[in-house]
Amino acid sequence: MPWTLLFKNMFSHPFRTLLTMGSLIVAVFLLCFLRASLVALEAGVAGASSNRLMVQSAVSLFVDLPLSYQGKIENVDGVAGTCKLQWFGGIYRDPSNFFAQFAVDADRFAAAYPEVELTQGSHEDFKATRTGCIIGEDLAKRFGWKIGDTIPLQGTIFPRTDGLPWELTVSGIYKAKTANVDNQTLWFHHAYLDEALVAGQATGPRGVGVYVVALDRGASVERVASQIEDLFRNGPQRVQGTTEAEFQRQFVSMLGSVPTFLGSIGGGVLFAILFAVLNTMLLTARERTHDLGVMKALGFSDAIAFWLLLGESLLVCVIGGGLGVALAWGTQGPLGAGLKQLIPTYVIGQETVLEGLALAVALGFLAGIIPAWQASRLDVVEALRAEI
Amino acid sequence: MGDKAKEPAIELAGVSRTYHRGGETLKALDHFDLTIEQGSFTAIMGPSGSGKSTLLNLVGGLDRADAGLVKVAGEELTTMTNAGLSAFRADRIGFVFQGFNLLPVLTALQNVELPLLLSPLSGKERRKHATHALTLVGLEDRLDHRPRELSGGQEQRVAIARALATDPELILADEPTGDLDRASADAILDLLQRLNREHGKTIVVVTHDPKAAMAAQRTIHLDKGRLEKVVENEPKEGVAKEGEPAEAAAPVQDGVAAAETSEEAAS
Repeated sequence: MPWTLLFKNMFSHPFRTLLTMGSLIVAVFLLCFLRASLVALEAGVAGASSNRLMVQSAVSLFVDLPLSYQGKIENVDGVAGTCKLQWFGGIYRDPSNFFAQFAVDADRFAAAYPEVELTQGSHEDFKATRTGCIIGEDLAKRFGWKIGDTIPLQGTIFPRTDGLPWELTVSGIYKAKTANVDNQTLWFHHAYLDEALVAGQATGPRGVGVYVVALDRGASVERVASQIEDLFRNGPQRVQGTTEAEFQRQFVSMLGSVPTFLGSIGGGVLFAILFAVLNTMLLTARERTHDLGVMKALGFSDAIAFWLLLGESLLVCVIGGGLGVALAWGTQGPLGAGLKQLIPTYVIGQETVLEGLALAVALGFLAGIIPAWQASRLDVVEALRAEI
Repeated sequence: MGDKAKEPAIELAGVSRTYHRGGETLKALDHFDLTIEQGSFTAIMGPSGSGKSTLLNLVGGLDRADAGLVKVAGEELTTMTNAGLSAFRADRIGFVFQGFNLLPVLTALQNVELPLLLSPLSGKERRKHATHALTLVGLEDRLDHRPRELSGGQEQRVAIARALATDPELILADEPTGDLDRASADAILDLLQRLNREHGKTIVVVTHDPKAAMAAQRTIHLDKGRLEKVVENEPKEGVAKEGEPAEAAAPVQDGVAAAETSEEAAS
């Protein structure tokens, strides 16, 4: 294979080659970015525990369940324990500082979420402090919070009647072991919230959004879910028991058609770049007709003509695509930091890197195969007559 | 080997080639017979459309005859596959074209190395052979020049060096002086004569130029795809005359051109 010729041909029009590579870099970077975003959106689903049930209202996630359900659920055969989970929706100083906050059973939380590991503070302190909370390490880093700090949260669903914010004290900082829990969440005592509601110090619905149900080892998820659903079939609130993966999927689907939209953009980008490279390669092949005729006259076979064109296309795409992947990989740190609130687990993983490179090779092949086939079929005499 | 040596370099018998263009049928060669001996220098002349280039293309394995026998360097071309013809061209034929046909992205040395890429030679050996061929045509000081940095005469000499690189038995030249001024053309003809005389190459030149034809030992005249006449030329050594700026008339001595080209001498 005349590699020297391949490289020299590739840069015979350096500006055009660099522009083609530039568009490949941008396109493959964008595709890697979209792919990593989709992977991040699905991370909660992928990392979900198979040994945990989420029990919510059968009507909607936004309808609360009665507090009395907890004891009844715990009596179901196969249930190891439960933990309340109530969306709080408070604002820290400004709505743009959004992060998730949940009211939970402080004494049951550690058992319900063993993947939430405290790196600072302790569960004992959390349990002992009525206004205590546990925060993710990314959240701590974002706002500079440390153990003992007070976090003021203005209630929106649960506003305090005195108009002041809720004050929570940092008892622990965690790092999740799996991707289904991001490191930007705040967990605090459900009892603290409920007491305030009972005492009239705050307003809002009294209940539980979701009961997190831990199962005994070996218990059938389907059977337990079905038994819990049967338990409340006649009201007052019918419930739905779903696996955590299914539960997480609801949030992804809440984004509506965003994943589909991202996928469509990716598909569009892919076709646009394929047509752009194909167009360049067809132009290259036409310009190269005379040279290929000369080479064939000198004894180069049809197969070599084929590989010269296909090789050039592959080389341009692999270099351009490779640089695109490298750009996506190199910028994941700053991009991930910038997108933390929207896509908490944005990472260019090994799979995305391999997919990006495979895509570059596929683009090179698809864009080069037609010009290469034309080159191999080129009639020597006609090619020599072609204008230079 | 002895029998092979006596075999004609080119043997055509009853060769026909017809082209169909725009509903028209053009008989480029019509039951054409020709024999060219090894080590000869033959010119082919004729008006446009007489079949000269078709003849050269068939002999060079660039095109296929519709009928008849085309035997070159002992090989029957009409039955060869495309891959077989490619290998035949690589091993047995050296082409020189009117428009030089050098690859613009490659240097003179790389252009001459090009056909050697098909050989089993190492990179070092390829460069050695290519340098030798360029020295032979008096361009040892232009190895790293690209075609656009060379004069027309120099480009054609690079093309001849490329044709010589694989040491083929047969050199086919299609209007090799067509794009050159008189002095450069004479120098190229002189070089071809020397390659024939001193290196035993069989040379076939298609030309419109009577002076180029006179450089050959024999001129074959074609008309309407048929052999019109054969003229034996008087033996003549050297085309470039004294006093003329014979750009490429570097004397070939023991396979190596003299260090100084006439171009340098003139400057």
